[in-house]
Amino acid sequence: MMVTIMILLIFGLIFFAGGAIGIIRFPDFYSRLHPAGKLDTGGLVITMSAFALYTIQPFDLEAIITSIKIILIVVFVFITSPTAIHSIVDAGIRAGLEPWEKQEDK
Amino acid sequence: MKITGLISLIFIGGLLFYGALDFPPWGDPTSPASSHLSPYYIEHSIKDTSVPNVVTAVLADYRGYDTMFETIVIFTAGIVCIFLLRSFKEKAPESRMYRHIPTGIILRIEKGGKVPHESEYFEHIDSVWIPYDLVIRTTCRMIIPFIQVFALYVIAHGHHSPGGGFQGGVIMGASFVLFAIGFNLRSAIKQMSEKIVAFICALGVLIYAGTGVLCMFFKANYLDYSALAPLLRTDPVTARSHGILIVEIGVGMAVMAVMVVLYYNLSSAGKHDEGL
Repeated sequence: MMVTIMILLIFGLIFFAGGAIGIIRFPDFYSRLHPAGKLDTGGLVITMSAFALYTIQPFDLEAIITSIKIILIVVFVFITSPTAIHSIVDAGIRAGLEPWEKQEDK
Repeated sequence: MKITGLISLIFIGGLLFYGALDFPPWGDPTSPASSHLSPYYIEHSIKDTSVPNVVTAVLADYRGYDTMFETIVIFTAGIVCIFLLRSFKEKAPESRMYRHIPTGIILRIEKGGKVPHESEYFEHIDSVWIPYDLVIRTTCRMIIPFIQVFALYVIAHGHHSPGGGFQGGVIMGASFVLFAIGFNLRSAIKQMSEKIVAFICALGVLIYAGTGVLCMFFKANYLDYSALAPLLRTDPVTARSHGILIVEIGVGMAVMAVMVVLYYNLSSAGKHDEGL
């Protein structure tokens, strides 16, 4: 059990680190939003499922209820975060922001 | 006129600073507030009111009079927003956008043109927000009920956890603002018209002040909820706890309505016609 939790946590933190680097390193607005959306959904699902597994270590009713609450947080973030990113991208396109293209070397 | 305003502002501000100089230093343990008042609240709040959250007990019971005027300040802010921004004059806009729903064609009708009726074929859309956002609308429809249930939970659970009327009211107002953003301002107004919002706003303040007056009918002081015990069929200590809940509901209604009024007026510049 503990090993599974550790693996999940480390995997989630790698996800978060990669996303954080991506937000800084990507060239423009749209491509930066891509890791931002991935962080909130992918990384959060992995780390929070590790927390949910950790809380049900003493397997009783109270721990299960806490675990369900953590899973609910994941569900709501999973629904709302991509929608927020979607609407930000929409607003960017409507405002006339051109997507980045690779410059040809002369 | 500007000079007189500036001089009076500097004079009153100077008086305020002069008065503030006499306050005890920030966090001084020997000041009267720390040496007499806070220990009393910490020791007696659960005995007096049976509310585990000391902040709620102080806010709505010991200092209920103060909180009532905080609610009235918020109420006044909503009224002022209506008076400053709301324009009741029907002024035809430069152009309007309509969508023909079966084909998805968007019509732009200039000023003076013939405007189609709102029906199942034509839909009035905002001139700055053209596409039909299926993703956002579906998410809003899914999330809003949960937000509202959570808002009610925060209002009702203020006795035991952080929360209360102000926070719950803001969350409730945010759910209506989210609806107005996800759909459009007109459908939000159709759900909850301006008159109803203004009525709820005044009703919230009335509930708060009326609870205080009701206590006076039972020969107690204003906002002394323990007098409501015969009405609520409990002992005086539990009556204080219930009185706090009634007052929090009033605060929540007023705050929610003011949030919605502010959004309606600010987003459409007072015209309530087109907005975000």
